[in-house]
Amino acid sequence: MNLTYTRIELKRSLRNPRFMIFAFAFPVFLFLIQTNVFVTDKDPDAATATAIIMVNMLAFGVFFAATSNGGRLATERAAGWQRQLRLTPLTGRGYMLGKSLTGLLLGVPVLVAVPVIAALANGVSLDAAQWARILLGTWLGAIPFVLLGLLVGQLARPDTLQPLNMGITLVMGFLGGMWIPVDAMPSWMQQLAPVLPSYWLTQLGRGAVTGDLSRSLGLTALVLAAWTIVLGTLVVWRYRKDSARA
Amino acid sequence: MSETTTTPAAVALRGLRKHYGAVAAVDGIDLEIRPGEVVALLGPNGAGKSTAIDMILGLTTPDAGRVRVFGRTPADAAREGVIGAMLQNGTLLDDLTVLETVRLVASLHKRPIPVERALRRAGAEDLAGRRAGRLSGGQSQRVRFAVALVSDPDLLVLDEPTAAMDPATRRDFWKAMYEDTTTGRTVLFATHYLEEAEEYADRVVLVTGGRVAADGSVAEIRALAGGRVIRAALPDAGEAALRSLPAVTGCEFRDGRAEIASADSDATLRALLHRFPAARDIEITAAGLESAFLALTAETETAR
Repeated sequence: MNLTYTRIELKRSLRNPRFMIFAFAFPVFLFLIQTNVFVTDKDPDAATATAIIMVNMLAFGVFFAATSNGGRLATERAAGWQRQLRLTPLTGRGYMLGKSLTGLLLGVPVLVAVPVIAALANGVSLDAAQWARILLGTWLGAIPFVLLGLLVGQLARPDTLQPLNMGITLVMGFLGGMWIPVDAMPSWMQQLAPVLPSYWLTQLGRGAVTGDLSRSLGLTALVLAAWTIVLGTLVVWRYRKDSARA
Repeated sequence: MSETTTTPAAVALRGLRKHYGAVAAVDGIDLEIRPGEVVALLGPNGAGKSTAIDMILGLTTPDAGRVRVFGRTPADAAREGVIGAMLQNGTLLDDLTVLETVRLVASLHKRPIPVERALRRAGAEDLAGRRAGRLSGGQSQRVRFAVALVSDPDLLVLDEPTAAMDPATRRDFWKAMYEDTTTGRTVLFATHYLEEAEEYADRVVLVTGGRVAADGSVAEIRALAGGRVIRAALPDAGEAALRSLPAVTGCEFRDGRAEIASADSDATLRALLHRFPAARDIEITAAGLESAFLALTAETETAR
């Protein structure tokens, strides 16, 4: 991995309007809308409810950044760009690690924007430990989703990528608790949600703001680590298969 | 062999084979390219040129045989930045500018030349600020040429580099390529344009059916299929009779007109006039690579 390469990769995404709308503007707007519609000042738990929505939108932001980052893999493979890169000293491992790094870095803008708005406009006030757990936790918690994005990018063709990612986003968003907080879920959904990794991603930040319907940090980290191992193994397996077939 | 000499061959192929299902794309190729040679891999579509090139580049693993690039495996050679290539059907990343594209590839190599110089050599310096997705076919080929040059490779491999170009652009491209190879770079290019091989290569390797049908200088390849072509109107001749004339290497007879390739046009013509006194409109020309190409590919087709 090198700086020039990573910088150019980031620039590609940041000037892509679709990326900016979905991975940056969308979570911000969704945060503003949800806090306006669902949280009233008279609500005794207004501060907590706002923080929970913030946590969910952070999870969605890093999730979407990871997904769209991975989607580039499908495009690059179809364009013959991966073959071109194989004629450089960049190894397959370096390529995938580079993609993982950009996937994580692309989540940073939303991790900054939503909390700033939440703190300034909605008066969310948390202590340093809470912020640290929410921000660092959500950022590192994005790792399995970066891998999921890469896996989808390895498996999909450019024309199947969009519907595939859409389906995954809908399931993760609604059932996994990023768009509907667990508090608002019917009980059958509450029981189903833990099957999905996005539920655990939201749990990373949720635990910092409320103990209600929250899982312990240890368990949450363990589950996400397990997802990381499973998805990481699949990414490596698929990569080996891909280069062997060539 | 290549390992024992002090300067190993730029490209050494031994018994190279690759099958796709029942189809033998490459069916036993032996080839040695010396450093500094400009070699054309000439052959019709489906001859196995691209498969052979992919194996030289290490993008495809051979079923059998061995590939060495300057004495190294293709993977090692690529890691050292020894190989620069324009791949067939390769495209660029639409959302990068030309400058960013070349800079990105340069950043991956150990000893790249300045990006501006690569663009200039490829005749793409005026495209630097353009998005790759908005280039014409010929323009994007020039950018891909710059991508291939930026590592300052010892071996440049071009897989049908001019396929998407109009004739004028094609000429400019080869001019740029030719100026570049005066530096002593080894070049291997695949083409099915005979005139490109004839004009720009030191050596032509003719490939059909996954094998080398002929290998030599342009002059040698021409001579292989007969030095001259005799054309004549022959109202009462037949193809079999014409083929039996001395020194004939190939013949086509249609509507009373014959086109005869001959290794010794004097002998052929004397015999022709003797047997067919009614022959008229006689014309003798030096055979181009085209007739050599046709004769040689026809030979291997019938031999198979």
